Amino acid sequence: MGFFSQARLITSRDLVRERRSGEVLWVTLPFGAIALLLVPMAIGTDAPLLEQVGTGLFWAIVMLFGVLISIRQTTGETQAQRDQLALTGIDAAAIYVGRATASFVLLVIFEVVLGLVTIVLYDVPVSGWWLVPILITIVAAGLSLLGTLAASIVSTGRNAAALVPLLVAPLSIPLLIGATQALEVLDLGGSSLAWVLMMIVSTLVLAVAGVLSARPLQEI
Amino acid sequence: MGPTTQRGIRTLPPVISDEPLIHLASVSVRAGATHILRDLDLDVRAGEALGVHGANGAGKTTLLRLAATLIRPSSGSGTVLGASLNSESRYDVRHRIGYVGHVPGLYPELTLRENLEFTADAHSIDHTAVASALDMVGLGAASDRQADRCSHGMQRRAEFARVLMTTPAVLLLDEPHSALDADAVDLVDAIVERTTASGGAAVLVSHDRERVSRVADRFVEISAGGVA
Amino acid sequence: MTDPTPTSTSTTWPWIVMAVAGLVTFVASMTVSPDAVQGQLSRIMYVHVPSAWLAYLAFIVTMAASAMYLWKRDLKWDRRAAASAEIGVVFTGMALGLGMIWAKPTWGVWWTWDARLTLTSIMFFIYLGYLALRRTTDDLDVRARRAAILGVLAVVQVPLVHFSVEWWRTLHQPATLLRPEGPEMATSMLVTLLIAVMAFTVMYVAMMFKRIELARLEDAVLIAEQASDGAVAGAAVTTPTIGRGTA
Repeated sequence: MGFFSQARLITSRDLVRERRSGEVLWVTLPFGAIALLLVPMAIGTDAPLLEQVGTGLFWAIVMLFGVLISIRQTTGETQAQRDQLALTGIDAAAIYVGRATASFVLLVIFEVVLGLVTIVLYDVPVSGWWLVPILITIVAAGLSLLGTLAASIVSTGRNAAALVPLLVAPLSIPLLIGATQALEVLDLGGSSLAWVLMMIVSTLVLAVAGVLSARPLQEI
Repeated sequence: MGPTTQRGIRTLPPVISDEPLIHLASVSVRAGATHILRDLDLDVRAGEALGVHGANGAGKTTLLRLAATLIRPSSGSGTVLGASLNSESRYDVRHRIGYVGHVPGLYPELTLRENLEFTADAHSIDHTAVASALDMVGLGAASDRQADRCSHGMQRRAEFARVLMTTPAVLLLDEPHSALDADAVDLVDAIVERTTASGGAAVLVSHDRERVSRVADRFVEISAGGVA
Repeated sequence: MTDPTPTSTSTTWPWIVMAVAGLVTFVASMTVSPDAVQGQLSRIMYVHVPSAWLAYLAFIVTMAASAMYLWKRDLKWDRRAAASAEIGVVFTGMALGLGMIWAKPTWGVWWTWDARLTLTSIMFFIYLGYLALRRTTDDLDVRARRAAILGVLAVVQVPLVHFSVEWWRTLHQPATLLRPEGPEMATSMLVTLLIAVMAFTVMYVAMMFKRIELARLEDAVLIAEQASDGAVAGAAVTTPTIGRGTA
């Protein structure tokens, strides 16, 4: 079985498991929406203020809650499941790519739904919308690669579920800044290219790091 | 439920080898600075079924996981199916190893059938073998039940179905008779005999020495980190 | 640098070096003339800037030592990486704290989204995560491998963040967000600053020596605790004292 076939097998398995458990769509997604609802209650429901912070807040919520999506399979796996997966002979790098791909799909859905919630609650301005799908895609890719890698690093250690978000959050900063500034610079009449390129570079770095470290991490 | 037709289950040609299928030479396994296994020597030859017993915490499960190439020796050398445990070649033989641990490793959200189909796809085995294997272990009617809605015993049977389907050359069983009812305990014997008859090797860790003696050619006791 | 061998009598020269370096910094920063605009507050710069420099140095050393561990699989490199990261986190915290103390009377706020400040705070959390990761297991080899992978990965993110926050500040160029450039630094102040940076660098080396010495002792204690006088793990399991008919 080729590398990409193996990765596809892992992806389809993870997506079927998610479809059955509904953890992302029925728990994490509503949790993110509630967070968007809570903030105006804390800072005030001044419409112009909310319109100003809405976009940035959306990306911050995506980063903080999206990490839960990208780590769910790895941190929730038992030793017995890990053993059986290793004995299938599937390449560790293919497992990494497959898991990250499944997380990518779920993160795109997460971002799209939360984006609609943000538009409704915060009445964010509708400019530069052609860029939004690009940013959603890159952020989903970067966050899924980062979360899958971080979860593999922490693996079976103590406090794994709590530690992984702590590792992911600061490392996701390039994605966060890039996403927020790419849209804002359009409003200022500038080009978003530099920001988008930075995000793409970050994502590629994560992909390479994840693939290269997959096999050493499998043995930890 | 007795054996049914074995459609789709491949029968591999017998393994003919003078070299032990499992060869461990002065192998130690440490967790931190604590030895779990120390200077252990063990050979398991083609066609042989080895029973392993020992006290709780003696390192029996560690021995099995070592033979499954899931952990590396801290020192010493060993080979499984000719692949060194200290080199990357051990990844190449993993798909020929069947391991049933004492805790089931099924995905709870997937049905028994889907769990096996995942393994079948990874091994490039036709899905007809999945239905056959589940029938053989008496789970044909429960194949579409999610694993987390199956009892521990049912999950164990499903894991045996998995090894039936993959026909490993090295079979490693940890407390294989636990959680199995009277109908199913013979299943273990059948799987071991199939493996050894085709020239493979089997290692059974069990506290039930009497039960294991029905198929085991010899026994070893793990004590003080090594073979007593 | 070779790892110091743990002995019953720990080395004292690092303490002396640290004390001298601290004294030199103190004397230099207190004897130089204060800044014409900031006054006495400017003296914070002679600790704040070297702290930030030391933090960068420490994390680069962590990255290098982590890479060496992944290559050589020798735990001495892991000890060096961890020691450097710990020192880096301490001095990053110092840089942030001193920066805030300086900012409040100068800018009227404890915090601004200055590029340098933001980057430093992000680095602080990244390496806090590194230290937290090291606490997830007592297995020295597992700990070292996990930490080494993160140690290499984390530093790659630093230049990416560095450039992104530089561009971010540039894009928010309006005068309301940036404070005006101060006057060019006087020679005496520049010299004092360089003395402080050198003193802190020497202090870092001394701290590394002591921290690595301590790390070797910690690892030795951990190994001794786990080794249980050479017995295997299974020796801890004995025959139960109750059985049938003894209840």
